[in-house]
Amino acid sequence: MSRTVLRNVAIPLLSIALLLLVWQGVVAVFDVKPYVAPRPLAAIQAVTDNWGLLWPLILGTIRETIYGFFYGLLLGLGFAVVMAKVPFLHRLIYPVLVLSQGVPIIALGAPLVLILGFGVTPKIVIVAWIVFFPVTVNVLAGLSHVDQDLLNLARVYGASRWRTFLQIEIPASSTSIFAGLKIGATYAVTGAIIGELATTSSSGESLALYQEHANSNFSTAAVYGVTMVMTVIGISWFMLVVGSEVLATPWQRRTTARRAWWRRADDVTESTSVH
Amino acid sequence: MANDLLQLRDVGKSFGATLALAPASLAIQDGSFVAIVGPSGCGKSTLFNVIAGLLQPDAGEVRLEGEVVTGTAGHVGYMLQKDLLMPWRTVQDNITMAARLTRRVTSDDRAEARRVARQYGLGEFLTHYPHALSGGMRQRVAFMRTLVTRHPLLLLDEPFGALDAQTRLEMQQWLLQVWKDAKRTVLFITHDVDESIFLSDRVLVMSPRPGRIIADLANPLARPRDLDALTDPQFVALKRQILHLLHGGGE
Repeated sequence: MSRTVLRNVAIPLLSIALLLLVWQGVVAVFDVKPYVAPRPLAAIQAVTDNWGLLWPLILGTIRETIYGFFYGLLLGLGFAVVMAKVPFLHRLIYPVLVLSQGVPIIALGAPLVLILGFGVTPKIVIVAWIVFFPVTVNVLAGLSHVDQDLLNLARVYGASRWRTFLQIEIPASSTSIFAGLKIGATYAVTGAIIGELATTSSSGESLALYQEHANSNFSTAAVYGVTMVMTVIGISWFMLVVGSEVLATPWQRRTTARRAWWRRADDVTESTSVH
Repeated sequence: MANDLLQLRDVGKSFGATLALAPASLAIQDGSFVAIVGPSGCGKSTLFNVIAGLLQPDAGEVRLEGEVVTGTAGHVGYMLQKDLLMPWRTVQDNITMAARLTRRVTSDDRAEARRVARQYGLGEFLTHYPHALSGGMRQRVAFMRTLVTRHPLLLLDEPFGALDAQTRLEMQQWLLQVWKDAKRTVLFITHDVDESIFLSDRVLVMSPRPGRIIADLANPLARPRDLDALTDPQFVALKRQILHLLHGGGE
């Protein structure tokens, strides 16, 4: 256990610390001017000094990311299921989906503001717009490659389509589903920042514009600091998705199952695993 | 006959212009173990899929316990060479799969799964995921899953085809033991002549293009059978007869 913690937590933390150390070293050794690139500690300080101002903006970005991600997830799953089940709709919808990803996201800002105003909604729409596509593509691939013999076996047992879908098709596609979610998670924060850039009017309203404002004021430390904050949000969200995959797919890592909390002890044999 | 569990009357199936299964009639006695042996492409699996209700035959009628079940599913247990275990389910939950696919799984279902698993050497692996099991054990789980459906007729389509010779022999003896206890009717497809004789009461020999049953042979070997049965003169004589039917020549 302690070895696993060491491998999975300590080493990544060490590599981040090393990165910051190299950054600090390079800036010091080459005597880089603070308005070109600040020292990492100065960047962090620029965040902590303005925490009261930044915190609501950070919460805003997190909210856009989460809402947009879940709407994108629902939309992506919906498209994938409909397209996997109805070949005609697959042919009908697919070109539109590809087209939607051809649109430069930043160009969506103006029309979205016209339709939805400057509030949180257009940002959420942009995040969902980016997130749904990798989800659709991956889930569609997963649903289309479920073992036909397994589906036939379900038919022999007289299974309904709905139960076959829930009990076989969804879990059989779990790897693809989470592959799509992980790509979507990495895009989600980027989407939120692009959304903020494209659809907010003043620097007090969003993290992205706060950063733009700092940039035009030559507060380079704040620019770097905010970038670090955005990165932390992005990585945290990705890790949450990875964590939920670990929880949702225990068979990928474990030899035996733990007893589910809703089952009585005498309804499941205790594991007598020799592994 | 009154004690026929399964009756086929003139059941045939074509795919496009290809006649996969020439119209066949067949009666399987309740409680018997019938092997079907033949080369690949002889329509064995088509026959099974028609009986299982996966395929609608072009003509003819399938009766199970006297009821017409042609083209309808949900009446038989079915097992393939691929174990088709669900990797995301434990051994116990794989055994109760048929229940889970049709209704709510009850404590009784789980208790029954544990009972058969313990009885036939899987008791220690109930909470294991399939990837932790050997090929032979996975096939046992697949068979337990077929057994707990309580269907009187079990269709086994080359269930041991992917196992090594040693494991296969073990599994054949194991299957005979389970079959004796469970009192089910088994239709067993194989391309292994030895296997067909060692297990069965009766051997149906099929030939390809078009697939049809060319011989229906009673198996004279006494039960219970041990490994000596494999070299019994009656075994050898029946094997010779089947090999000639499959490959021509002799007799």
